[in-house]
Amino acid sequence: MGRYIGGRVVSMVITFLIIASLTFFLMKLLPGTPFNNQEKLSDAQIVQLNEKYGLNDPVAVQYFTYMTNLFKGDLGVSFQQDGRQVSTIIGERIGPSAYLGFQSLVVGTILGLVLGIVAALRHNSIWDYGTMVVAVLGISIPSFVIAGLMQYWFGVKWQLLPVAYWDGFAYTIMPTIAIASIVVATIARFMRTEMLEVLGQDYIVTAKAKGLSSTAVVIRHTIRNASIPIITIMGPLVVGLMTGTLVIERIFVIPGLGEKFVNSILTNDFPIIMGTTLFFSFLFILVILLVDILYGIVDPRIRLAGGKE
Amino acid sequence: MSMQQEKLHDLTDDMFQPANIDDSENELIAGESTGFWKDAWRRLKKNPGAIIGLVIIFVITFLAIFGPYMNEHDYRTQELTRAKLPAKVPVLENFDFLGVNGVDIRGVDQYEAKGYEDEYFWFGTDEFGRDQWTRVWQGTRISLFIAAAAAFIDFVIGVAYGGISAYYGGRVDNVLQRIIEVLVGIPNLILIILAILIFEPGIFSIIVALSLTGWVGMSRIVRGQVLKLKTQEFVLASRTLGATSGRVIGKHLIPNVLGQIIITTMFTIPGAIFFEAFLSFIGLGIRPPEASLGSIINNGFSSLQIYPHLVLWPSIIISLIMIAFNLVGDGLRDAFDPKLRK
Repeated sequence: MGRYIGGRVVSMVITFLIIASLTFFLMKLLPGTPFNNQEKLSDAQIVQLNEKYGLNDPVAVQYFTYMTNLFKGDLGVSFQQDGRQVSTIIGERIGPSAYLGFQSLVVGTILGLVLGIVAALRHNSIWDYGTMVVAVLGISIPSFVIAGLMQYWFGVKWQLLPVAYWDGFAYTIMPTIAIASIVVATIARFMRTEMLEVLGQDYIVTAKAKGLSSTAVVIRHTIRNASIPIITIMGPLVVGLMTGTLVIERIFVIPGLGEKFVNSILTNDFPIIMGTTLFFSFLFILVILLVDILYGIVDPRIRLAGGKE
Repeated sequence: MSMQQEKLHDLTDDMFQPANIDDSENELIAGESTGFWKDAWRRLKKNPGAIIGLVIIFVITFLAIFGPYMNEHDYRTQELTRAKLPAKVPVLENFDFLGVNGVDIRGVDQYEAKGYEDEYFWFGTDEFGRDQWTRVWQGTRISLFIAAAAAFIDFVIGVAYGGISAYYGGRVDNVLQRIIEVLVGIPNLILIILAILIFEPGIFSIIVALSLTGWVGMSRIVRGQVLKLKTQEFVLASRTLGATSGRVIGKHLIPNVLGQIIITTMFTIPGAIFFEAFLSFIGLGIRPPEASLGSIINNGFSSLQIYPHLVLWPSIIISLIMIAFNLVGDGLRDAFDPKLRK
């Protein structure tokens, strides 16, 4: 297991270095100017700004500086916000995003598991069909459409919930539903399939035959075995959540990292785009790694197969 | 019991015929033989969800092609005096509860107020007075075109890459798979956004950006299937009979993987539509005056409170497209491989 994790960490670092280099060179290729109100700046000012941010150095030197700073945890400074540290900006923006992402993930997973389990246990009943309809709708309807419809009906028309902004629990409800819808749908569908698969296994018949109560069979044998593969789809789901937060934060005007990322793209604030990109990539790689390790711990077959390499 | 006996009495000798004892006649296949495709189509027809999906796709594609020509307005003529008119449809305007009589949510007939009594805008007009019906279908057309193009590129690259990787195996496979590992390590959203930033936003750059990583899924599925198939006896038999690589691939491998390829494509299309809408939505997509469903929804959001119809119709259409493709994809998966059905 130790060797397996070690190998995975090394490949993770390599992937991250590739992403960092790729981001750097792509940024150099980008059209447009990073400075606000370029037309209002005099030529001398532009020269001065280029000098200040090291944009006159050869690309190789810039790359070297960038990579060494990266190792020190320094993501550079924003061109547009008076040279504030990118890491500071990320730090103050991460709170709402993390809260929203975590809440959506927890709510969505629990609801999805419950729906999937009920659908499988009441196979071919109204519960089953209801769950399948919810699953298809949740997977199909884009989160921004759900967000828009909720904003109109719950926010504007019936005035049940605040339309936008970030100021307490009531403000998190609609964004959470919008982001969690895909989680509920994906997990419900997956759990239902897994449960049906497990329910047909011989060991379930054995458990019933030895006189276990049906509750014990469902809880101890069916649900436990069916939930193992759920871990494999958690990685892609968490990544999907990040995509979701980008739009949802924009719709609900939430001061999170996603909203900052979209704005920095629209204003060409390169260091922020790079910093956020690296931050997102890092999270992404970390999540995939954690999911793989967790899966290895839960399912010994994976661990053994990995250890042989 | 007595009922059955009575019935037996009704059976007379002339209702029977001697059985045919000629072997060659017995062996005759009475019905038409059912091939793979026919069998799949028969199963698909029994799936109500998939049929509904197919009908929705057909109707929406039809409207995307012909919808913009169905009235006298075009998608780019701006006329600020008629901006943000609510929907008004001939005949249906007489039924108030449908909400298509040109009266806005404050109860004012905007057509009368702005002097356009004789005009009809079926979905209303947007903030520049452009006909929303024409724009929505124009946008649907662009969204569908982008999705179809991205799916086609994914198909070509994915099948070739996965096929070569699996068929030749060994070192080729090793190198190709390492490349994929690196690609998969990069979050595709970020790669897509960076790619869009480099090429100027537009239809072409969206298609390229979507294809950058989109083919990986297809190549993995094709590789897995080909790896499984190429060791099977019928491939060995074909080789023994002297078939060339090209013949083995074209005649035996690809037809057997085709079902999986079609299913994957069916799920690629809604994915591409979502990503295109997502990009347009955060301002990285189609540039005005062109429109896609995502950019129309994005524009509508700014006036959601007063003019919800600007968001409503494109939202419904994009949701219907996504639902339809997912339903057909699910249906095809069950039809091609009934063993997977749950």
